[in-house]
Amino acid sequence: MTLLKSWDRVLADVQSRTEYQNYVTAWESKIRSMLTFDLNRDRFGAQDGPLANIPFAVKDNIAVRDFNLTCGSRILENLVSPYTATAVERLQAAGARVVGKTNLDEFGMGSSTDNSALAQTNNPWNVNAVPGGSSGGSAAAVAAGLVPFALGSDTGGSVRQPAAFCGCFGLKPTYGTVSRFGLVAYASSLEVIGVLSRGVDTLETVYDIIAGRDDRDQSSVARPQNSPARGTARVGILRQIAELSPAIDAAYRETIEKVKSLGVEIVEIDIPALEYVVPAYYTIATAEASANLARYTGIRYGHRTSDDSSMEQMVAASRNEGFGDEVKLRILLGTYVLRSGFQDQYYIRAQKIRTAIRNGFDAAFGQVDLMLTPVFPTQAFLRGEGELTPFQQKLADKFTAAANLAGIPALTVPIGVTDGLPTAMQLLAPDFAEHRMFDFARRMGVDMAAMTPDGFDEGWRK
Amino acid sequence: MYQSFIGLEIHIHLLTRTKAFCGCTAEFGAPPNTHVCPVCLGYPGVLPAVNEEAMKMSYMVAKALNCELSPKCYFDRKNYFYPDMTKNYQISQFHDPVGRNGYFDVEVDGEIKRVRIHDVHLEEDAGKMIHSGRTSLLDYNRAGTSLLEIVTEPDLVTGKDAEAFIREFRRMVRHLGVCDGNMEEGSLRCDANVSINLKGQGLGTKTEVKNLNSARFVRKALEYEIKRQGRVLGKGEKVIQETRLWDSDNNVTASMRTKEKAHDYRYFPEPDMPPFCPDDAFMSEVVSRVVELPLVKKQRYLNGLQLSVDAAEFLVEDRLFCDLFEETCALGGDAKQISNWLCGDVQGQLKRAEVALTDSHITAARLNELVKLVDSGVLQRGKAKEVLELVIAEDKDPSAVVREKGFEQVQDDSQLDGWVSEAIDKNPQAVEQILAGNTKTISFLVGQVMRFSKGKADPKKVTDKLSQALGL
Ligand SMILES: [Zn+2]
Repeated sequence: MTLLKSWDRVLADVQSRTEYQNYVTAWESKIRSMLTFDLNRDRFGAQDGPLANIPFAVKDNIAVRDFNLTCGSRILENLVSPYTATAVERLQAAGARVVGKTNLDEFGMGSSTDNSALAQTNNPWNVNAVPGGSSGGSAAAVAAGLVPFALGSDTGGSVRQPAAFCGCFGLKPTYGTVSRFGLVAYASSLEVIGVLSRGVDTLETVYDIIAGRDDRDQSSVARPQNSPARGTARVGILRQIAELSPAIDAAYRETIEKVKSLGVEIVEIDIPALEYVVPAYYTIATAEASANLARYTGIRYGHRTSDDSSMEQMVAASRNEGFGDEVKLRILLGTYVLRSGFQDQYYIRAQKIRTAIRNGFDAAFGQVDLMLTPVFPTQAFLRGEGELTPFQQKLADKFTAAANLAGIPALTVPIGVTDGLPTAMQLLAPDFAEHRMFDFARRMGVDMAAMTPDGFDEGWRK
Repeated sequence: MYQSFIGLEIHIHLLTRTKAFCGCTAEFGAPPNTHVCPVCLGYPGVLPAVNEEAMKMSYMVAKALNCELSPKCYFDRKNYFYPDMTKNYQISQFHDPVGRNGYFDVEVDGEIKRVRIHDVHLEEDAGKMIHSGRTSLLDYNRAGTSLLEIVTEPDLVTGKDAEAFIREFRRMVRHLGVCDGNMEEGSLRCDANVSINLKGQGLGTKTEVKNLNSARFVRKALEYEIKRQGRVLGKGEKVIQETRLWDSDNNVTASMRTKEKAHDYRYFPEPDMPPFCPDDAFMSEVVSRVVELPLVKKQRYLNGLQLSVDAAEFLVEDRLFCDLFEETCALGGDAKQISNWLCGDVQGQLKRAEVALTDSHITAARLNELVKLVDSGVLQRGKAKEVLELVIAEDKDPSAVVREKGFEQVQDDSQLDGWVSEAIDKNPQAVEQILAGNTKTISFLVGQVMRFSKGKADPKKVTDKLSQALGL
């Protein structure tokens, strides 16, 4: 039975709904992946369609009418969305139903989900470990078997890194193929709605439904009539990869051997501009964030301070009370890099690096069909001692953020389990070659039966 | 001894049906916050989608202002916090506006002055904030409507120049149909910057003058401000760079006395919208919609059609009158006569009836018919007014009105001849007087004929016939 088929009776009757509710409640007491879980709220799912009655979860920075849209922030804690994102609407039209809104780092800013102001989400494999971020709630919910798939958003790795930490597939599509309408903006030119699932087939089905031009997002693009070839004969790896944890290093080498064993040629690739991924990424992302987050003032919606001594004070205090530290840091950084007279030094320079990175990938894809890199230099990290500092976490975004700067699609593929936590690798492809990655991931033959955390159970829905 | 430099920043509300970046209606005057949606309210997650009609109108204005048109224009975000701005950045154009480096010709005292245009760019308007005691209320109906900004170089010299510019510009946008040009209601707004300096020394320190909601105020405020700056310099003091408000009650400008913060708007390219690249179909539509501009039209009316200055001025004030005039001329008839009808009776009656030309039932065909009826003598000039009134009031063709009212003058020669003979036969005394040289008495006989015909005889024709019969 395919993954999706095993879910289509879950909402059918009182008994299966109760079993579903019980399974989720048991897990949620340990991992708290969702800010809302409600089997009855989505009244918009079509009665039939390829995903009829399939439940799914949506990161809480993607709008679903009648659901909260907190973005993991105090400032939007009580906001109920008056409208639905295009990607969600397309899934609803295919019959799927939103059952939950998942936790995230505030406005997508973070790599652990610990920057959520509203809840702490734990990794289903080890509750002392972070689930990754910022789509940590979606990754944890999928990995624990609470939904067959979930939507996330990926600005610098926010779908792929938590997918790697929790042991599921995570797709970051080509920039523009999935409408951003309804995705709360953090860094508009970098981010895209992505999908997390334990099955490649499910990922592909969902992606095919949500992709496509949307008039409400003028930066969205139609996929080309002649889609890129699906086969893979050569896979590129970066010549220099340093500072991987032993478990990730081992998984990386093992994967390269596995790829070779499939009769696929491994080609070493140099993209010198990748050295500057992190500074370029944070310059552009924070610049855009400083404008994107300016609308939260408590005037029309969201948290409003009790301090109304003046108009300016009301706005300043509402923002001060409503935003967390990481968000404030990024707004300040973005405001700084956009000052007049300093744009050449920061913003424009970052755009030049971005172009160089794009050109580097274009050249690489002249030689190879896919690229293979780690997702993150470590497995899911534990809270407390040995935890990565926020600065280390940012540096570690280099493999994932490169795809956002280049706009190309990328996929997290689970590899195995080491010391009780998943390992994973990343595939990168040229624009619109998502299906090439799906096919190759299938060829890699990941043993998903082995990728189940303790407590994972499918028996209740069979 | 001083030289003055005036530049204008004009904002016009484009007459698009919907707002610039969402589907809300752009209509004014609705109850507060009824024409809003998640996009123009700046809800999280929404995206702007540019209104193509707004782009067309923007390119039309840029073209009419002889600008270099951008083949690829970008939007930028202009960042600043103010509660009437829902996103706290304004979508505007900074690096690549719709048009640049244009010019606009204005007639001042019969002389053409050419004013350079710095740029034309499209942006979104903000909402309205209304203060009441300690409370401020916000109405976002206007938020996100399309606003086109036109910035001139400081090429204007006097307040009179500036007034002429505004009047000509307003006429132009109304002819293009892109703005109603109403300054009182704020659909055309004008700020002016002005500086003076000793001749040959270039621009001086400028002040910006706001609150100019009529063309006359533009002139008066600038005349005042130029004099004021002259007095300041005359006393050996320096002009302070500041914003001043025109106080139309006291006819002075007054400093806003706000701390002028040097704003850093942190412009950067709007990532939510790809650059707008007009294609051939778009550009040819733009070109076709840029009609003959009022100043050119006026000169053609004066020099080509020999209209009077008053008639030409009257017609070019209103595109609809121009269109009606030209359509009527195209049906035949004397242009001068048609223009006299339009700025005389037609205008007068519309005003009296308080009817707009568009709602008046007056068409080129009807006007042509009316002129012809009078010309051919079927209708008396004096009765034509009454016919026009009924055309306006009852939506009828002039010929139908004439028929119904029995206004036709009898043209039939045998009938007229009969009445003429009857008048001569019945009034030998009058005939005698006429033949004796008292020709004025002929009007008595004409009156008799009119009586026999119950007023339907053409008096001109009757006079001719009587003169002929009496051998005059
Ligand atoms: Zn709207």
